[in-house]
Amino acid sequence: MGSDILNIGKSALNAAQIGISVTGNNISNASSAGYNRQVISQSAAASQNVGFGYLGKGTQVTSIERVYSALLAKQVNVSQARSSELSTYSSQINSINNMLADSSAGLSPALQDFFDSVQDLTNNPGSASSRQAMLSSSEALASRFQSLSSRLTEMENSVNSQLRSSTSLVNSYAQQIASLNDSINNAMGATGKTPNDLMDQRDLLVSKMSSQIKTTIVQSGNSYNVFVGNGLPLVVDKESYSLSVVNSPTDSTRLEVAYSGKGGTPIILGENSVTGGTLGGLIQFRNHSLDTTKNQLGQIAVSLTETFNAQQKLGLDLNGNAGVNYFNTISPTIKSNGNNTGNAVLTGSFTDASAVTTSDYTLTYNGGTNYSVKRLSDGTTTNYTSMPITIDGVSISVSSGTMSSGDNFLIQPTADAARQISVSITGTDQIAAASPLIAAKSSSNTGSGAISNLTVNSAYMGSPFSSALTLTYDSGTGNLNGFPATEAVTVKTSSGTTTTYAAGAAVPYTAGATYTVAGASFTMGGTPNNGDSFTLTPSTGSSSGNNTNALLLAKLQTASTVSGNKSYEAAFAQIVSAVGNKTSELQVTGAAEATLLEQAQAEMESNSGVNLDEEAANLLRYQQSYQAAAKVMQIASQMFDTLINIR
Amino acid sequence: MRISTNTIYQTGINKISALQSEQYKLQQQVSSGKRILTPADDPVGAARALTISQAQSINSQYADNRAMASFNLNSIESTLTSVTDLMVSAKSTLVGAGNAVLSSEEKNYIATQLSNDLQELIGLANSKDGNGNYLFGGFKNTTQPYTATTTGATYNGDNGQMDMQVSDTRRMSTTENGPDVFQAEGNDVFATLSNIVDLLSNPATTSAALNTALASANTSLDKGLDNVLTVRASTGSKLKEIDALDNNGDDRNLQYKAELSDIQDLDYAQALSDITKQKTILEAAQQSYVQLSGLTLFKYI
Repeated sequence: MGSDILNIGKSALNAAQIGISVTGNNISNASSAGYNRQVISQSAAASQNVGFGYLGKGTQVTSIERVYSALLAKQVNVSQARSSELSTYSSQINSINNMLADSSAGLSPALQDFFDSVQDLTNNPGSASSRQAMLSSSEALASRFQSLSSRLTEMENSVNSQLRSSTSLVNSYAQQIASLNDSINNAMGATGKTPNDLMDQRDLLVSKMSSQIKTTIVQSGNSYNVFVGNGLPLVVDKESYSLSVVNSPTDSTRLEVAYSGKGGTPIILGENSVTGGTLGGLIQFRNHSLDTTKNQLGQIAVSLTETFNAQQKLGLDLNGNAGVNYFNTISPTIKSNGNNTGNAVLTGSFTDASAVTTSDYTLTYNGGTNYSVKRLSDGTTTNYTSMPITIDGVSISVSSGTMSSGDNFLIQPTADAARQISVSITGTDQIAAASPLIAAKSSSNTGSGAISNLTVNSAYMGSPFSSALTLTYDSGTGNLNGFPATEAVTVKTSSGTTTTYAAGAAVPYTAGATYTVAGASFTMGGTPNNGDSFTLTPSTGSSSGNNTNALLLAKLQTASTVSGNKSYEAAFAQIVSAVGNKTSELQVTGAAEATLLEQAQAEMESNSGVNLDEEAANLLRYQQSYQAAAKVMQIASQMFDTLINIR
Repeated sequence: MRISTNTIYQTGINKISALQSEQYKLQQQVSSGKRILTPADDPVGAARALTISQAQSINSQYADNRAMASFNLNSIESTLTSVTDLMVSAKSTLVGAGNAVLSSEEKNYIATQLSNDLQELIGLANSKDGNGNYLFGGFKNTTQPYTATTTGATYNGDNGQMDMQVSDTRRMSTTENGPDVFQAEGNDVFATLSNIVDLLSNPATTSAALNTALASANTSLDKGLDNVLTVRASTGSKLKEIDALDNNGDDRNLQYKAELSDIQDLDYAQALSDITKQKTILEAAQQSYVQLSGLTLFKYI
C-alpha cells in the first residue's frame, strides 16, 4: 500500500515537473516569432478496482499541446497579404509623391521660366541676349523633363529588382514548407504526437509567404498544400513548385512574374493572378501609377514638342529663313512581341498632338488584310484593312519586313517621350520670332478700312508669296481686287458664313470678314474708299523688330494643347493631383488595413500568445503541486517507517 | 479577454510610434511654414497652387511687358513732341515766306532755315529707342528708316507694327511706322518741305507760283500736324490704358498671393496648439507604457 501512495506521489511529482518545464519553455519563448504557447494536458491515471471501489492511481500527462486556432491564423494571413500589398504600393508611390512635392524640382518652374523667356523675346525680338536666354531656358526645360523621366525609370528598375527578390523569397518559403510537411509527417507517423515546434515554424512560413503574395492553404492530412493565384500549387505535400521572373515578351525592359512549376516553361501571370503581398503591391503600383505618370509626363512632352515646332515652322528666323523644328521630334515607342514569327519592324510618328492620349496600344495582325488596334486604357478595339494605320494622333507604318498572322506589337506613344525631348536648334538666330507676311494699308488710303489678324498655315510656308500682294478696293463694284488669279479665296463673315470664290472670280469686300488665300488668313474691317489698297508683303531678309510669331509662340503657354483641352501646366497639375490623391488614398486604406491586421494579430495572440503573469501563476501552481506531491511521498515514507518501527 | 505579453508591448510601441510620426509631421509643417508638404497632404490644393502660381508668374511677366511697352510709347511720345514743335515753327516760317517784299536773298535765308527744319525732321524720324532700335522703321528696326533725297526722304523700313502682350487678352502695338506718322494719306511732309525749299531758293520762281505753292504747303503741314497729333493722342491713350492695366495687374497679384497663402500656408496658431496637444498625449502614452510594463507578477515571487 505504501508503494502505491509513493507511486501516486511520484506521478504527481512528475506531472508538476513537466508543468514547470512547459511553463519555463513558454516563458523563454514569450517573444519568439511564430511561437504558440503550449499547455500540458493532464488526466487521472486509470484507477484500480479494489473490491470496495475504484482506487485512483495518481495522475498522468497525456500530451503537450500548442494553443493554436487555424481560423484566427487564416484571418491574420489574409489581412497580412492585403496590408503588405497596400503598404508596398503606398511606399512606392510615395517616392513619386515626394519627387513632385518639391515645387522647385517639378516641371512647373522650368515651364514658367521658359515661357517667361519667350515673352521677354517678344519685347525685344532682335536682341541676342533675349534669344540666348530663351535657348538656355528651353534646354533647362528639356533637361527637367529628362530628369523626371529618369527618376521614373529608376523606380521601374527598382520594381524589377524587388519583383526578383520577392519571388525568390516565395520560392524559398515554398521549399521550406514542403520539407516541413515531410518532417511533420515523419514525426507524427513515428510517435503519433504533434511536433509543436515544427508546426509553429510551418505556420510562421505561411505567414511570411502571405506578406509576399496572397496564398490559399488547403490542409490534407498533416500536410499544408499552398496555392497562389487561381489555384496554382506552390506546395503539394513534400513537393514544392516555383515562381520566376521573366522578361515581358511585349516589353523586354520589364520583368513579369511567371509560374514555372517544376522547372517547366514559365507562364506569365497576369495582374489578376498575382495579388496581395509585396508582389501584388509592386504590380499594382507599376500598372496603375508608374506607367500612368510616365505616360502623362510624356504626353506633355509630345504636346510641347509638336505644338511649339508647328508654330516655330510658321515663322521666320532672324535671317529671314523659314523656321525649323525647335525641339527634336519625338517618336512613339513600338515594340515587337518576342514571340512574333514575322520580321516586320514598325515605326510611328505623331500626326495630331491634341489627339494623343496617355494610353498604350497593341496592334495585332490577323492575317490577310485584317489589322486590329486595341487601346489598352479602355479596351476599345478598332479594325483596319491596311497599313499605315492612324489612331489617336499616331501614325504607324511598316518600315521593313512583313508580318505573320498572329504577330502583335506594343505601341507606347508617350512612355518614352519625356526622355526623348531635346532642343534641336543650335543658334539663337534660328528662333523664328518673325512672321513671314506683313499686312499693312497703304499710307495714301483715305478710308477707314483696316487689315488685321494676319496668320499663315503650313500650306503658305510650303509656297510663300514671291512678291507683295496688293488688294485694292473698288467702290463701283464693291469688290476687293488683286487676289492671285491662280488661287481660290475663302471668305468667312463675322456671322460665320463661309463662301469660297474660285480662282480668278471677283471677291466682294465684307467688313469684319476673314479672307483666306493660299494659306494666309486676315480680317478686313472698316469702310475703305475707292482705290484704297492693302498689302500683304513677304518679310525678306533680317527684320529684327518682327515679333509677331514670337507672340504666337508665347500664347502656347496657356493654350489648350494637351489632349486639346488643357495647357501644359494644367496637365502637369493633373499629374500632381492624381499622384497626390492615390497616395493619400493608399495612406488611408493602408492605415485601416494595418489596424485590421493588428486586431487580427491581437486576437490570435490573445489565444496563442504567452502571458507572463499567467505563466508566473502557473509556476506557482506547479511549484505547489510539486511540494504537495513531495509531501504525499514523505507521508508514504513516514507510514512505512511507522510500520518498520513497530517492535 | 486574455492579453498576451507581446500584445501589451507591441500595442504600446505602435501607439507611441504613430504619435511620434504625427509629431514629426507637425514639426516639419512648422519649420517650413507650409501646410502642404507633399501633394498627398492635399491633392486638390497642391494642383491648384501650381495653377495659381503659373497665373501669378504670367501676370508678373505681363507687368514686365507693360513696363517695356510704356518705355517704347514714351520714347515715341517725346519724339513726337519735338516733331510737333518743329512743324509748328516750320509753319510760321512758311507764313513769313509769303511776304511779297522779300528779296531773293531773304528768301534764300528762309530756304536755308526750312532746309534745316527738313534735316531735323528726318533726324527725328530716325530716332532710336533705349535699346538702340529705330522707332519708326517698322520691323526693320536696325535699318535707318529715312534717307534724305533731292525730293524729300525715302522710307527704308517696312509696314510692320510691333505688338506687345500687355495683359492676357490685350495686345498693343507699341511702335509706329514712319509713313503712318509723316506720310499719312498721301501727304508727305518731307516732300512738301523739300519742294518749298527748292522754290524759295530758285530766283526764277514767280511770286504767283510761290504763293500757290506756299498755300498748299501750309495745308500740307496742317494735315501733317493733325496727323502727328492723332498719333500722339493714340499713344497717350495707350499709356493711360497701360496705367489702368498696371493697377489691375497689381490687384490680381495681391489676389493670387492671398489665394496661394490660403492654400499652402500653415495656420501657426493651430499647428502650435496641435503640437502641444500631441506632446501631452505622447507623454501620457509613454508614462502609461512604462507603468503597464512594470506590472508583473514576477516582482512578487
